[in-house]
Amino acid sequence: MTLLSVQNLRVTFDTETGPVQAVRGVSFSLGRERLGIVGESGSGKTMTGRSVLRLIRPPGRIEADSMVFDGQDLIGLPEPQMRALRGRRIAMVMQDPKFSLNPVMKVGFQLTEGLRQRDGLSAKDARVKALAALQAVQIRDPERVFHAWPHELSGGMGQRVMIAMMLIPEPDLLIADEPTSALDVTVQAEVLSILDNLVKTRGMGLIFISHDLRLVSRFCDRVLVMYKGRIVEELPARDLMQAQHPYTQGLLNCLPRIGGPRTPLPALDRSQAWAQE
Amino acid sequence: MRAWLLDPNPRSRLQSRLGQAWLQALRFRRNHLAMLGLFITVTLLLAAIFAPLIAPHGPITQSLADRLQPPLTPGHLLGTDDFGRDILSRILYGSRITLYIVGLVILTAPVAGLIIGTVAGYFGGWVDAVLMRITDIFLAFPKLILALALVAVLGNGMENAVLAIALTSWPPYARVARAETLTVRNSDYIAAVRLQGAGATRIIWGHIMPMCLPSVIIRVTLDMAGIILTAAGLGFLGLGVQPPDPEWGVMISAGRKFLFEQWWVATMPGLAIFLVSLGFNLMGDGLRDVLDPKGAR
Amino acid sequence: MIEIDTLSVTFNAAGRLVRAVENVSLTVGAQESFGLVGESGSGKSTILRAICGLAPISGGAIRIDGKPVAPQTRAFARQVQMVFQDPYASLHPRHTIDRVLSEPLTIHGLKTTEGRIEQALTDVGLPTSFRFRFPHQLSGGQRQRVAIARALMLEPRILLLDEPTSALDASVQAETLNLLTRLRETRGLTFLMVSHDLAVIDHMCDRILVMQHGKAVEALSREALAQGAMTTDYARTLFTASADRLMG
Repeated sequence: MTLLSVQNLRVTFDTETGPVQAVRGVSFSLGRERLGIVGESGSGKTMTGRSVLRLIRPPGRIEADSMVFDGQDLIGLPEPQMRALRGRRIAMVMQDPKFSLNPVMKVGFQLTEGLRQRDGLSAKDARVKALAALQAVQIRDPERVFHAWPHELSGGMGQRVMIAMMLIPEPDLLIADEPTSALDVTVQAEVLSILDNLVKTRGMGLIFISHDLRLVSRFCDRVLVMYKGRIVEELPARDLMQAQHPYTQGLLNCLPRIGGPRTPLPALDRSQAWAQE
Repeated sequence: MRAWLLDPNPRSRLQSRLGQAWLQALRFRRNHLAMLGLFITVTLLLAAIFAPLIAPHGPITQSLADRLQPPLTPGHLLGTDDFGRDILSRILYGSRITLYIVGLVILTAPVAGLIIGTVAGYFGGWVDAVLMRITDIFLAFPKLILALALVAVLGNGMENAVLAIALTSWPPYARVARAETLTVRNSDYIAAVRLQGAGATRIIWGHIMPMCLPSVIIRVTLDMAGIILTAAGLGFLGLGVQPPDPEWGVMISAGRKFLFEQWWVATMPGLAIFLVSLGFNLMGDGLRDVLDPKGAR
Repeated sequence: MIEIDTLSVTFNAAGRLVRAVENVSLTVGAQESFGLVGESGSGKSTILRAICGLAPISGGAIRIDGKPVAPQTRAFARQVQMVFQDPYASLHPRHTIDRVLSEPLTIHGLKTTEGRIEQALTDVGLPTSFRFRFPHQLSGGQRQRVAIARALMLEPRILLLDEPTSALDASVQAETLNLLTRLRETRGLTFLMVSHDLAVIDHMCDRILVMQHGKAVEALSREALAQGAMTTDYARTLFTASADRLMG
């Protein structure tokens, strides 16, 4: 079953020196599966993720032939209906929890805010639900975290809280934009396995945006590789090592390895032909 | 010319700087309100420069036969005051005085504030404590009261009014510059230049001040309205520019006596103050969007 | 060449004493490349900053060539330079590349000859047409090249590298690491490098010190790291977490 289907998505920024296209004709579809979008900075991967939620500020604008989520075309949807979708049916986890949590509100208040306002739950019911969500992201002492201020949390803890917050409304689609890049390697693995578990047990669709090809291949079912606003290759994650496109191969080979040779690392040959439409 | 300005590979520091300025100008032009502000400011400038050419009468030419004529009287577009002087001409000549006061104040106060603020912010410790307490003392007095006291000590007159306004308006700039310095001080690019062995003067002058300048410039344009009002206030109280010089505040003060019967005598210079203040404020807002280093991409 | 002897760094954060570095000792030989590895808060960057006088030393000593360091003096600047983590924060946003590169020469009263800046740009693999650009007109990798060029303007013998590639894309990281290796070979530089990435440290460094919570955990040779022959639990945890970056 297709959850999201995007046809010919374009994101254009009007700047003083003329329009700049950040995303140029991207099409993909997604079922209840884990889709990875990989690319380097400037490849348009973040813009693609944000476009699905229509979270591009002017002077940027989104165009697409269609962007159908669960039978609704998001492109033509009026803003109030779009707002009803955001958070409740499509949620997003950002890179750095430091900038996503409001520093002057306690974690518990932020977790229950949506439940109380949107779903009209009583403070007590909302609290029970929030504590359960914290438990679901394997926070050992949910009571303490519930009453903590954001600055009292470590990076890994903050990111777990963010994931818990996004999962409370039980969305159908979760967009995770570099959810572990700001975390230490030892914490990264834990957060990823939590995310993986939740996606599996709840049957959500997941768009996982990252610059780290190996991480994505370990964690997703399918991978889109983006370069300069275009998809250059789409392949099942398990076939990543057999990637055909020179850009994907380059991305795989340019990382240094422990115990690897001291020869210069293979540089990426950025051929302009890849960027052509 | 356009291509030269937007050349991605400039061939000199000057070309590169002009190119950046051009991009900022393009961004400024998108903001219609800011353009209106710029228009008002330019009009004021032109009025001041060409006052003798456009003013229909002399600013202090009296004609008691034509006293207190209402606006739209033939020959007196904005009416006349109690000495029969043409109000339009007086406002046009008055713009010279206004610009002179504003010009002198913005050449002195922000510079002093910038130096004091960056020095205090960069060194910290007791230097900061001493300089900032002095700033606090100046900030603790209402601006107009302090200016009044200074004029009372120094004596009446335009120069003393300028001095008094300058002395009372530097503290906010020092505060802004210090706050900006504190955020810049610990940045990597300042650490890098310190590691190259640069002295404090070089770091403050060449590296910190350019970062504080935009916020101070914005603050100045937003304050210009306040400077005009303080000058007008001093004039209104009879402590600044002396009659018969056509200063806008003095004109309002003179028109106070006829406020109910001959409203235009006080209203016209009041409108001029309002318009010019509005112009400076709109321009300042636009500049903030363009110059703010945090908004720069 | 660099000797760090039971160094401690203590910050006073709102009345609370934070021990960022506790009794860490290490020595780096001439033309050696030494790596400090650890997670955030391990104090690895603080050691570099302490060498440069950017962090308060509360105990121990730092010596270069047997003499105690006098950071932020001109003599020190000609000996030791640093490359920072974030190339977006380490270049002055309102100075052209030309100004950034000529500043060290001006400070030291050296003549900026016409070819000098262009040579510096060429050495780090940037086109000379970039000379009068502003930092925001460059990409992250290009900026980091400018930062490396700036650090080399005074021809120091020691380069402190604070996560020089962690803000860069993988392909740009490869190019930057290659550039650093090449510069070290041609100029005989000594590197003291900090990174959270074991694979990067392994690629660049001969000897490695693993740090955690401000303390030195384990010193490893490059061979020991490649074989996974570490003795402490923490070093092993770090190694397993980087398992997908192993050769083979």
